[in-house]
Amino acid sequence: MFDIERFISGLSVDKALDRLGERFLKSLEDETAETFLEALLAFMKIKFMFDPAYRKNIEGFRGRYQFRSRDGGVAVLVKFEDGDMKIREKTSDDVNVTVSFKDGRALMNFLLSANRDILRGLLNNEVVVAGNLNYMYKFGFMANHLQLELTGNLP
Amino acid sequence: MVTIDDLSLKDMTLDSLPRLKRLRSLHFATRPDICVELPRNITHYMKHLDNPADSPELRAGKLYKYVMENKRAVIADENLLAGTTTARTIGVVLYPDFMALSIWPELETVSRRKKNPFGITRREIKELNFDIFPYWLDRTIQEVARKDNGNPLCQRIMERIVFYIATKVYCISHTVPNYAMVVERGLLDIIREARERELSLGSSKEDRAKKDFYQAVQLSLNGIISYAANLSREAERLAAKEVDTKRRQELLEMARVCQKVPAERPRTLREALNAIWICKVALHQENANVALSLGRLDQVLYPFYAEDIKRGMTLAEAVELVGCLWLKIADHVPLSPETGEELFGGSGSNQAVTLGGVDMQGEDAVNDLTYVMLKATELLRLRDPNVNARYCPGVSKKEYLDRLCAVNINTGATPCFHNDVSAVEALTGQGVSLAHARDYSSVGCVEPSSGGRTYGHTGCILMNLTSALEMVLWGGKHRLTEDEQIGPKTKPAVAMTSFAEFKEALETQLGWMIDQVVTLNNNLGRAHQKIHPTPILSALMEGCMEKGKDVIYGGAAYNSSGAAMIGLADVVDSVTAIQEFVFDKKKFTMAEMISAINADWSGPYKKLQAMVKASPEKFGTDSEMARANADWLIGFLHDIFQSKENYRGGKYTVGYWTMTNHAGFGALTGALPNGRMKSEPFASGITPVSGSAPVLTSCLNFVARLDHTRIADGHALNLKYTPSTTTLPRFANTIEAFFKMGGLQVQFNIIGRKTLEDARRHPEKYPDLFVRVSGYTAYFKDLNPHMQQEIITRAEYDLVTGTEI
Repeated sequence: MFDIERFISGLSVDKALDRLGERFLKSLEDETAETFLEALLAFMKIKFMFDPAYRKNIEGFRGRYQFRSRDGGVAVLVKFEDGDMKIREKTSDDVNVTVSFKDGRALMNFLLSANRDILRGLLNNEVVVAGNLNYMYKFGFMANHLQLELTGNLP
Repeated sequence: MVTIDDLSLKDMTLDSLPRLKRLRSLHFATRPDICVELPRNITHYMKHLDNPADSPELRAGKLYKYVMENKRAVIADENLLAGTTTARTIGVVLYPDFMALSIWPELETVSRRKKNPFGITRREIKELNFDIFPYWLDRTIQEVARKDNGNPLCQRIMERIVFYIATKVYCISHTVPNYAMVVERGLLDIIREARERELSLGSSKEDRAKKDFYQAVQLSLNGIISYAANLSREAERLAAKEVDTKRRQELLEMARVCQKVPAERPRTLREALNAIWICKVALHQENANVALSLGRLDQVLYPFYAEDIKRGMTLAEAVELVGCLWLKIADHVPLSPETGEELFGGSGSNQAVTLGGVDMQGEDAVNDLTYVMLKATELLRLRDPNVNARYCPGVSKKEYLDRLCAVNINTGATPCFHNDVSAVEALTGQGVSLAHARDYSSVGCVEPSSGGRTYGHTGCILMNLTSALEMVLWGGKHRLTEDEQIGPKTKPAVAMTSFAEFKEALETQLGWMIDQVVTLNNNLGRAHQKIHPTPILSALMEGCMEKGKDVIYGGAAYNSSGAAMIGLADVVDSVTAIQEFVFDKKKFTMAEMISAINADWSGPYKKLQAMVKASPEKFGTDSEMARANADWLIGFLHDIFQSKENYRGGKYTVGYWTMTNHAGFGALTGALPNGRMKSEPFASGITPVSGSAPVLTSCLNFVARLDHTRIADGHALNLKYTPSTTTLPRFANTIEAFFKMGGLQVQFNIIGRKTLEDARRHPEKYPDLFVRVSGYTAYFKDLNPHMQQEIITRAEYDLVTGTEI
C-alpha cells in the first residue's frame, strides 16, 4: 500500500496537496489506471486533513467502504469516522458497501463523471456494487469533486 | 353530448390564442432546473419536527401538512391557473426518500452533461450535499427494504440491472386519483367526513389505527387548503402591484378562485380546473412524478364546461383554459441521473389523460369537452399530458374516430387509441364490476384501470424476458454476470433433445425470476407502509375512507400490482427459431445456435443468421408456430403472476409496454437466437420485431387475436405509418378493423424516416418534435441514441400497399 506519510514527509501542506493532486491526475491518464484507487484515496485523505471545506463532507459521517479487485490483488477498507478517514489493506464484511472491480480503469469509469462509462462497466461486468448504494453516491460526489477541483472545472 | 358543429375547431390556432402561444414558447425555451424546495422541507420536518412515536400514517399526515403549508406560492407567468409543482418554471423534483440521492455524484456536473442537463446553483449543491442528502443515507425506501430483509438475493439481482427493475424504489405513483371527488365535493367536505368517521370510533387497536388514518387525511388536506390560501394572497399581492388593467383583473380572479377551491366545491370550469391542479400539485409533493395520472377529465369536468357555455363562455376560452392546464401539467420533469439517461432517458412524467369512450351504462360518453381537449392537445403538442383516447366499436361515432386520427396525423404522435370492448373485458376478468370497468382510464403509458378506485401500481415491475431465455441457454447463468449461478440450474441447452424440454426450462427460469421480483416488490411495498403512507392520495381514492385505511395498506376499492414485460416479440421469435431450426427442421444444433449468438452472428454464422431472419415463422405474421408460442408465453406469464399475492392482498397483472426500456435492456443484452445482434434494441411493447412482420393486416390480426384478458396491465402496439400514404379514411379503417378483431390498444407515429434522421442530425431544428415511444410520448431530441435509432428503424407501413417499406 502506498505510504502517504513517507511521500509527503518534509513537504509543506500546500506542496503535499499539490504533489498528491498531481499524482491523482496522472493516475487518470494512465492507460490501465492501475494506481487510480490508491492515488484517489491518498489525495482524499490529505484533503480531509488539510482542507476544512472538503473535510466538511465527512463531519458527523460514519461510513465503511470495501474496495476489492476481482483478481484479489487489491482489498482496501476505507473508514470514515469523526471527521477522519482511515485506509487499511484488509477485507471486512462489516461495511456499508462493497465495490468489486475488474481493474483501476473500470473503477475510474464508474466513479468519475468526466470519464463516466457506467454502461460499459455494466455490460462487461466490470464493476459490481453490493450494499447500501447511497454510501456509494456520497463517495462518488467526494471523488468527482476532487477531479473537478484539480482540473478547474467546478461549477 | 356533442353540440359543436366543427369538431376540428379549425378556426382556432395558436395565433388566435396568444396566451397559449406565449406560454408554449416559454415552455420550450426553458431548461429544467433542479428544485430543492421539497427535499428541504421534508428533511427539515423529519430532522426537527417529526415524532417517531406516531404511527406511520400520522407522521405522514403531519409531514404533508407542513410541506404544503410551507410550499412557496409562485405565480411567475400568465397562466390562468395558480399553483406550481416546484418553485421553478420547469422543475426537476427531488424525492429524498426515493431516488434523489442517485444524483449525488453528479451534482457538480449535471448542469453541463450532454443529454438533458438540469440547472442547479452552487448554493443548492452545497445544501443538498451537506444538509439534505446525508440525512437520508439509511432512510430511503430502497435501503430500508434492504435492511429489513437482510440485503436479499432479489434486491441484489435487481442491482445487476439486466434482469428486472422494481420501481417502488422511486415511486408508487402509477394510479389515477379520484378528481371527481375534488370537484363534486371540495376538500372541506372530505375533511368533514374524515372527522365524523374519526369521532365515531372507539379505542380498540383497530380503531386507533383508523383514527390515525382519518387524522392524517384531515391534516394533509388542510395543508392543501393552506397552500391555496397562500396562492390567493400572492395573487392579490401581485394584483396590487400590477399596472396593466387586464392582468390585474386576471390576478384578482385567480385570488378569488384560490380562496374558494379546492376547499369548496367549484362552480365554474376555471375553478374546477384550478381545484384539480392544486390537488395534483399536492399529490406530487407526496408521490413521485412518475405516471400519476389524471383520468377522464372530459367526463369529470363536463358539467362545469356545460354550465359555463350556458353562461356565455366561448369555445376559444374553453380551449385556452384547458391549454393552461396542459401547460401546468408539463411544469416538472422526473429526475434522471446520467446512467438513467443513457439507458432509459427521454421520458416525461407520463401523466395520462383519458378522453372519450363509453360511460358506466355503456353509452357513448364523448362530449364537447372531449373535442376541446383534443384541440388543446393538437395546438400545444406537448409530451405531457400523455393523451389516451378510448373508442368503442359499435357505440362511438365515426366522426369521433376521424377526429382522433386527424389529431394523430397533425401532431405526428398523439393520442393513442384504446378499444373499450377489450379493455372492459380485461378488467372484468380481474374482478372489476362492469360499471367500474366501463369507467376505466389509462395510467401512465397505456394501462387500463378503473380510475379513482383502483390502486394498481401498474408499473411496479419491469421484467426483461430475454434474461430468462439467456439463463435457459446457459443453465441458469447469464452472459453479463458470467460464472455466477444466477437462476436455478436447468439442463444444459446443448443436451436438450426436444422443444418441450426447452420450454420447460424456460418456464423454470421465468418462474424463478417472477418469484424474485414479486418478493422484491412486496418487500418494497412493506417499506412504503413503514415510512411512506400517502394520506393525500388515500383521501382521493374510493374505498380508503370506508375502510379507514391508506392505499398502501390496501385501502382502495380495488388492489392489484402491474408487471410490464420487456422483449416479448424477441423472445417469441427466438423460441420459434429454436423450435423450427434446432428441433423441427434440424438445420443446426443447439450448440451451433449458442456458438452463433456468442459470436454475435458474425463470420461463419452470417448465413445462419440470414436463414433465421428470412423465416416467415415470426411474431406478427400468419405463422401458427409463432402464434402458439406467443399464446403459450403470454398464458404462462399471466398464470404465474396471477398466482402471486401482493402486500395489499391483491393480484399481479401482466402488461406489454416498455417505455424506453426495450432500448435500455437491449443495449445490455447479447445476441439472441432470433437473429438480433448484441446491443440492438428489442422490439417495443407488443410490437413485432422490425422487418419481421411485413404485412400490416397480418400484424394487426396477430396482435388482435392474442388473449387480452391475460394482458390486464395493458399493451402498447407501436406502429409507424408513412405520412404521405396516411389519409384519414385509410388510417381510421385500420384502427376500426383492429378493434373489431379484438385489439386492445394501438398507437402511431405518423412521421417519415427522413424527418427523424434529420432530427437526429440536427436536433436544434426540431426542438418540439415528439414521438410515441412505447406508451408515452417523448421529445425526439431528448431520447438516448439507442432509442432514437429504434424509432427510426421501427417498422414503417405504407397504407396504400399495406406493407412495410
